[in-house]
Amino acid sequence: MKSNEILLNIENLTIGFARRRKINTVVDHVTLEVNKGEILGIAGESGSGKTMTVLAVMGLLPVSAKILSGGIHFLGKNLLTMEEKELRRLRGAEISMVFQDSMTSFNPLLTIGAQVEEMLRLHSSLAKEEYRILTLKALEEVGLAPEVYHMYPHQLSGGMRQRAMIAMAMIAGPKLVIADEPTTALDVTTQGKILELLKEMNVKHGTGIILISHDLRVIQSVCDRAVIMKDGRIVESGAAKVLFAHPENEYTRQLVESAPVLFSETGALLKGLDGETFFDCNKDEGEINGNVVQDGTELDMDPNGTNINKDRNETAVCSEWNGSNLKEDRTGTDLNTGPGKDHGEDQAKNQTRDQTRVQNKGKNKNQDKDQEEILIIKNLNVFYPEKGIVLPGKRSRKQVIRNVTISVRQGETLGIIGESGSGKSTLAKAIVGLDTEVEGVIKINGIAAAGSEMSVSRPQMVFQDPYGSLNPMKKIAWILEEPLKLQTNLGKKERMQRVNEMIRQVGLSPEHLERYPHQLSGGQRQRAAIAAALIVNPGLVILDEPVSSLDVTIQAQILCLLKELQKKYNLTYIFISHDLSVTFRFCDRICVIYRGEIAEVKEAGELLCRPQHEYTKELIRSAMLLTA
Amino acid sequence: MQPGKNKHDFNYILGLSITSLVLLVVLTGFFYTPYDPNKMDAALRNSPPSLLHLFGTDNFGRDILSRVMKGAGTTYIIAVSIVFVGASLGTIVGALTGYFGGWFDEAIMRLNDVLTSFPSILLALVFVSVFGPGSYNIILALGIIFVPSYARVVRSEFIVLKERDFVKNAKLMGAGNFRIMFVHILPNTGRVLIPSLLIGFNNAVLAEAGLSFLGLGVQPPQASLGRMLSEAQGYLLDSPWYAIAPGVMIILTVLGFSLISGGLANEK
Repeated sequence: MKSNEILLNIENLTIGFARRRKINTVVDHVTLEVNKGEILGIAGESGSGKTMTVLAVMGLLPVSAKILSGGIHFLGKNLLTMEEKELRRLRGAEISMVFQDSMTSFNPLLTIGAQVEEMLRLHSSLAKEEYRILTLKALEEVGLAPEVYHMYPHQLSGGMRQRAMIAMAMIAGPKLVIADEPTTALDVTTQGKILELLKEMNVKHGTGIILISHDLRVIQSVCDRAVIMKDGRIVESGAAKVLFAHPENEYTRQLVESAPVLFSETGALLKGLDGETFFDCNKDEGEINGNVVQDGTELDMDPNGTNINKDRNETAVCSEWNGSNLKEDRTGTDLNTGPGKDHGEDQAKNQTRDQTRVQNKGKNKNQDKDQEEILIIKNLNVFYPEKGIVLPGKRSRKQVIRNVTISVRQGETLGIIGESGSGKSTLAKAIVGLDTEVEGVIKINGIAAAGSEMSVSRPQMVFQDPYGSLNPMKKIAWILEEPLKLQTNLGKKERMQRVNEMIRQVGLSPEHLERYPHQLSGGQRQRAAIAAALIVNPGLVILDEPVSSLDVTIQAQILCLLKELQKKYNLTYIFISHDLSVTFRFCDRICVIYRGEIAEVKEAGELLCRPQHEYTKELIRSAMLLTA
Repeated sequence: MQPGKNKHDFNYILGLSITSLVLLVVLTGFFYTPYDPNKMDAALRNSPPSLLHLFGTDNFGRDILSRVMKGAGTTYIIAVSIVFVGASLGTIVGALTGYFGGWFDEAIMRLNDVLTSFPSILLALVFVSVFGPGSYNIILALGIIFVPSYARVVRSEFIVLKERDFVKNAKLMGAGNFRIMFVHILPNTGRVLIPSLLIGFNNAVLAEAGLSFLGLGVQPPQASLGRMLSEAQGYLLDSPWYAIAPGVMIILTVLGFSLISGGLANEK
């Protein structure tokens, strides 16, 4: 690899949107360079300007965006002053792009082969047969069968489409490939493979790659160098390994800490949400602690925002995120995160914790007997009506859930993981009664929630997308009041009192009540959605990917909030997610769903360390691949 | 839905100004007109616009300005009533069919198709000739003819919105079907419903004018824009001002509301 030869050089780039005479800067004096044959990672949360920066490189900025200053040089040529004609020749042949959503990036009416070939046609003049041969070769290189040439985008899986997209980006032999969140829309098992493919292309052809992701693990696993962006500025940059092991910048540190770290190099889960609990697979069976927050004292949350366990030399994610003490609290803390951590220290900590863990374990066993089963599912089958001509009496249906039997204990958190289309969301909908085509037994016990005179109401649900789950035309106050109107006999005054109480419980202030959902940020909206779900005191709450649409730092906050509320109201959670690290950190027990059937149900630690089912093994393997 | 904020909404603002001007004239007409709109004066027959009679007088010597003011009011009231009848029935039908779907939806929508497959003016003609002319019959006839268009708009919105998570959430809270339909979902249809109300109003103004022009709507001596046009057609060459005043009024009304609804539809 010839390094030190600069491929792309962005200097002091500033991009802004003009809005009513005021300029809204989205990229602020960004300077970065990509060397030949290097993979540069750009990480940052949504709105940090990472996509805008690379769109400027491609010359694909929205019309309303203006480049205010700076320059972009590709192999010494200034891209900003280049003629459109020249730029067009550059795109695809020299610089190409892989987008996040492979479904919309392909033309649905053309075959994959035609579209990959088109890229070649635009940049070279060959015989017809040669195009075909080269295209087939490119498809083969990314691991696709020749049949794909004649297939349409919708006939491929997400992973295959993304492979085809890479083939298309690579076929003209570009020197630089920009991959904008190439794995975000994919399942964990495919994510790893796509990243491997990108890496392979990089090594084989010496192509420089800019990899954009909000997921630090992705950046960490394949990038040589990384750049962290926030609010349009680069806050830190450097060699990826060093950057994540020893972040200098405050914000980078926050990001690294909130990023769910699953595995160390030895294959153990490093830390849970409370910064304490972790799994160690070297321990004997039964010793692995799977109960993250069974014992309430483990969670350092305090409504006043003060950290109870100040003297402990530990960084617990939850206490970190608790209110205003964020900054003051951090002085001199030992950062116990990241795979780059030396193990001697970890080992030592393990030992001191072991004793407390054994005690906890004992306590949990006793609790188990008292804990009643709040939800019992027996032989559940769920169907979807097939679309087509509706004839009375004659209906075809597709089975989504097959013969599922599971029970959930009062107060526990059951995680459900599985790839998209495995039926995990369908199961959730069946439990709350949103699906009608259900066979089998679903029994929900009405166990009164602790400390409330109200009887437990039906299970509530927190959805993935807080944009969709809050009525856009109603104010937050109305949204929170509605369940009380429907389910209780409280008067207007009492209802508003409860609404005011609840909004504080989820970390918002009463002023948010007068706003519409679109006036809140993503995290605030999810808090409001949680408040709406909890206000009627449900015993069982189903969390359907509650943090998947949020940035990592916000994710950690929301998860901590959920844990705190669980403790306070003695809630039972069913947590659905495709993100393994979040699930393992959050749940007591985990149920793996594979093609509509339960593959495995186990304590979180047991499952992580001793997976039985082939699919579980593959899941965990690919999750490890991401951090390796 | 906030009104337009940037310069792209020039049309919207133009529409708003035209409409407010027109509405001002019409609203004034309810309380004050320069002359009694039905008072005839043989001495002043077909006199051209002058300082005394700004828009001239008609073949009975009635002040055209006063008649336009009063007549436009009548037309507006009829149009609003038509839209009210059509939109409320249409919304109910659309909400029910869109929300419940299934064979019920199929049946109603096919009925809807039948209704739309006839030219609306023809249906109105049949209706009026069976039940007799007059304002009330026009409102009823045109109102019913307007139902399918609203039903369609509302139904398609409901089909999309009922799959949204906030609707599922409302179900989980224990809200009944009707509460979900009319309290949770309906306010969200405003984005498309309000522009289509404005367009509907335009269509109603034109339909009323058309029917009255044919003599099936408002009966003399009451004035309406269509009625006046119909009476003016015999004098187009001698006294063109008779036709121009109500004609311009119709144009301004339709133009203003079109521009507004276009502006609203562009709002995101």
